[in-house]
Amino acid sequence: MQVPETIFAMNDVSFRFPDDSHQTLSSVTFSINRGERVAISGPSGSGKSTLLYLLNRLYPMNCDGIVKGEIELFGKASELYAPGEINKRVATVFQDPDAQFCMPTVEEELAFTLENMRTPAKEIEKRIDRVLESTGLTHLKYVNIQTLSGGMKQRVATACALVMEPEVLLLDEPISHLDPLTAKEFISWLDLLQRRFGLTVIAVEHRLDSWGAFFDREIAIDRAGNIAEDREFIPHETLHYPARIKSVSDEDSLSAEGLSVTIKDRTLLLPLSFTSKKGECIVIAGPNGSGKSTLVKALCGILKKDSGTVSAHACGYVPQSPEFLFLTPSVSREIAFSGTSSAQELEELMESLRLAEIAEHNPFAVSHGQKRRVAIGAMLADKRNILFLDEPTSGQDQRALLELFHLIEERLISGDTVFIVTHDMEFAASVADSVLLLKEGHLSGMFPAEQIWEETDLLAEHNLLPPKGVMQLAESPA
Amino acid sequence: MLNSWKLKEIVLMSLFGVVFGIVYLLFIHLGNIWAGLIGPIAYEWMFGIWFIVSIICMHIIRKPGAAVMPETMAAVIEVMLGNAVGPRLILSGIVQGLGAEAAFAVTRYRHFNLFVFMLAGIGAAVFSFIYGFFVSGYAALDPSFVALMFTLRVLSGAIIAGIGGKYIGDALLATGSLRGYAIARSKTGDASA
Amino acid sequence: MRNLLHDMNPAIKFVMVTVVMLGLAFFFNPWTPLLFFFGVICLQLFFSRMDWKIWSLFMLPFTLGAFGYLWTTIVFGAETEGTVIWSLFGFEVTDEQWAVALSLAFRVLAFSSLSLLFALTTDPVRFVMSLMQQLKLSPKIAYGVLVGYQFLPVLKDEFFQIQQAHRLRGAATEKYWWQRLLGIRRVIIPMLAGAVRKAERSAFAMEARGFTGEARTEFYRPVRAGRLDMVMSLVIVALFVGSCVFGVYLSG
Ligand SMILES: Nc1ncnc2c1ncn2[C@@H]1O[C@H](COP(=O)(O)OP(=O)(O)OP(=O)(O)O)[C@@H](O)[C@H]1O
Ligand SMILES: Nc1ncnc2c1ncn2[C@@H]1O[C@H](COP(=O)(O)OP(=O)(O)OP(=O)(O)O)[C@@H](O)[C@H]1O
Ligand SMILES: [Mg+2]
Ligand SMILES: [Mg+2]
Repeated sequence: MQVPETIFAMNDVSFRFPDDSHQTLSSVTFSINRGERVAISGPSGSGKSTLLYLLNRLYPMNCDGIVKGEIELFGKASELYAPGEINKRVATVFQDPDAQFCMPTVEEELAFTLENMRTPAKEIEKRIDRVLESTGLTHLKYVNIQTLSGGMKQRVATACALVMEPEVLLLDEPISHLDPLTAKEFISWLDLLQRRFGLTVIAVEHRLDSWGAFFDREIAIDRAGNIAEDREFIPHETLHYPARIKSVSDEDSLSAEGLSVTIKDRTLLLPLSFTSKKGECIVIAGPNGSGKSTLVKALCGILKKDSGTVSAHACGYVPQSPEFLFLTPSVSREIAFSGTSSAQELEELMESLRLAEIAEHNPFAVSHGQKRRVAIGAMLADKRNILFLDEPTSGQDQRALLELFHLIEERLISGDTVFIVTHDMEFAASVADSVLLLKEGHLSGMFPAEQIWEETDLLAEHNLLPPKGVMQLAESPA
Repeated sequence: MLNSWKLKEIVLMSLFGVVFGIVYLLFIHLGNIWAGLIGPIAYEWMFGIWFIVSIICMHIIRKPGAAVMPETMAAVIEVMLGNAVGPRLILSGIVQGLGAEAAFAVTRYRHFNLFVFMLAGIGAAVFSFIYGFFVSGYAALDPSFVALMFTLRVLSGAIIAGIGGKYIGDALLATGSLRGYAIARSKTGDASA
Repeated sequence: MRNLLHDMNPAIKFVMVTVVMLGLAFFFNPWTPLLFFFGVICLQLFFSRMDWKIWSLFMLPFTLGAFGYLWTTIVFGAETEGTVIWSLFGFEVTDEQWAVALSLAFRVLAFSSLSLLFALTTDPVRFVMSLMQQLKLSPKIAYGVLVGYQFLPVLKDEFFQIQQAHRLRGAATEKYWWQRLLGIRRVIIPMLAGAVRKAERSAFAMEARGFTGEARTEFYRPVRAGRLDMVMSLVIVALFVGSCVFGVYLSG
């Protein structure tokens, strides 16, 4: 047996952003051996990404951060590396599939990476073909990256990382925008690659339950930026949500008839019809690019519909980036913007959404969870009783998910109707009364939540997986 | 000069160039219709719009070159979009950017307050006017008419670019998204960095 | 033959177009820009696969602009000598004034056609690559611009999405154009906030791929400059000199 070779070592490392007063990471000590598969977990804002960026030397230079302690990369102090030097051995895939490319096509993007490595021009083509073949992406060689779905972009980003033939692969929440089946494929594909190339894989992840037994080891960081735990990886249990009290009434709240959407001669939604009730929670699910966001936008009147009718007056919409909605520089003015509710009502609303304490903050400057609450608050203050939430679950930690769960439950009990677009099947199973399945712009149907999770084939057709907690949920007493 | 620039600052200027490229093109649209009716003076009162990206970026980044570069990049991107003003936009972008840059250079990149921003807007207006005087042949026009055009452009530079640029920069600072840039480090937007 | 303008090295084409444009600014006779304008059209006819429908569409607003120039110069032209050739609403137009007015209007046409010659025969990405390879533009700036360029559709979509989201909030659709202009500021802030975030992420992604901004030595798709560019440059210069000489001669 070989002696394991240490490639990364941190010794009592603290890190502080120059305009912060507190340490983002404090006294972090660990070492990572070649070939290990390490997960980094911890609540939102605990400094996981920061830690990753210290390993690929994006920090401290890029943020003028202040580092104390020793960081050793491949047995050499990290300060001694020239800019860009370490990035030839350590490759990174980031969380946001939209913002990690700089060239138009896949081929050019790969060539960009190889040019950075000063690969001789003659070899570039060969290397590109080789990596595309080994990652199964050959058919995408000349495709424009911005036209790909989120999942495909993420795979292209991984190919760009692998074309450098790195020793270490760093991943920052690589699956948070992927539909469940694509995410699963991504993980098994990564598993294959790791075996073939003997990579060291270090990944930041909130949803470790999706990764099965991929990892060997888990480093957990706590809120204060200390290492809370550093242990052998044990597959994670899924998050348990409390059982929900059903609140569906008989009264219709929204019905769509023959709704279809066409943009620039492309049919994004084929005619579809369904009806929802007051107090009902409807989950909209389907593969990446199947038209979920399009459906939501058409229902609340943001996109022009091609045909059909929607009978609903007051639809509230919370986009994936809630800041798109914001119009004013303070939370309280944001909520009061339309002037539909009385001062008394506004106050109660702010109280129930826990916005009172940030009433005077700029809505852009609050945390992501708070932004969503502000947006929901604004919609409710406009007396909109049908809410559409587009991917409220992506990139959220467990606490935020539970908080979201309770927020939705409360709205349902008070008789609102909530539509949720999500790729998180566990969350969907815990809140949904019914599920709308979409595929390539076609509505496969509206199914009652109790039965859909058992129909594995139907789910698989829509790139979905049965929620892992479904059995436990079924058995637990209501 | 380039070595003191972080890549993220350069990409930021480029993306701002794109955002304002879109806005600029909207305005060219608007201006062209007018220009047919009332002649080149149609553009004068809103000329400041075309200088605004220099001032916003300098407000945020506060390094030598942060006024010329974004203006030039915005122009290159507009050219890449393939509009009919074409390659000479790059030249006018550089000229306008240099005008704004001059004001910051004169104050030695120490002061970033409303006065300096308005000065930069005026600088851009003056430079671009001299350039326009030559390229568009204003020499053929009546001096008093040229003086009117000049006054309008300077006012527009000071008000739209100077005041508007500071307003947008400050509003952006309040959103908290500018952590990690010079503007956030000088706590109050006005203080010299 | 008809691909020559498309195949020309973009940076050299850019330099030629810019130099010729600046050169044209020295001429105040109507013939030079007019001859040049027709010359450019001929160039495009022979050496490019121009889509004339798009060309006309782009030219249209500038024709309007040229008209604006024409009458501005007539009405607000500097005092000149010369004989009055006609008068209208009390404005007396001398032959010299008329010539300068025509010249400036034709100049707008000549500039626009030259710009279109560049814009419609040049691949934007190759243009930036060639600025980097031939004119030694810093890779940091070149790739910075490319990132911006490929975000363009994304940002454009966002622009309209934000506008629509605001409309949903009941941010009144303004009646007057100046209210609509002021309304843009509300869209700009979220756009820019998003742009700041995207900029940081893309920059990190580029650095994580080993991009340092040093001048490069190896190019996968080098943009070359060669004999063709010499020839085409000469053609453009010849057209320019020809228009100047004949223009001066015709109006002299
Ligand atoms: N440039 C910056 N300047 C100042 N503070 C920052 C900067 N970037 C991040 N922070 C703060 O540092 C802390 C750690 O951020 P980091 O992105 O590492 O968290 P994270 O664990 O990756 O969170 P998430 O799970 O939400 O991605 C956060 O509180 C964040 O607000
Ligand atoms: N404005 C548009 N113009 C043209 N095509 C569009 C437009 N908006 C979306 N599309 C296309 O419509 C399809 C559906 O997009 P949509 O955003 O609704 O997918 P989605 O189901 O929300 O996917 P994801 O899970 O990745 O968010 C995609 O193929 C997308 O490329
Ligand atoms: Mg993170
Ligand atoms: Mg979507």
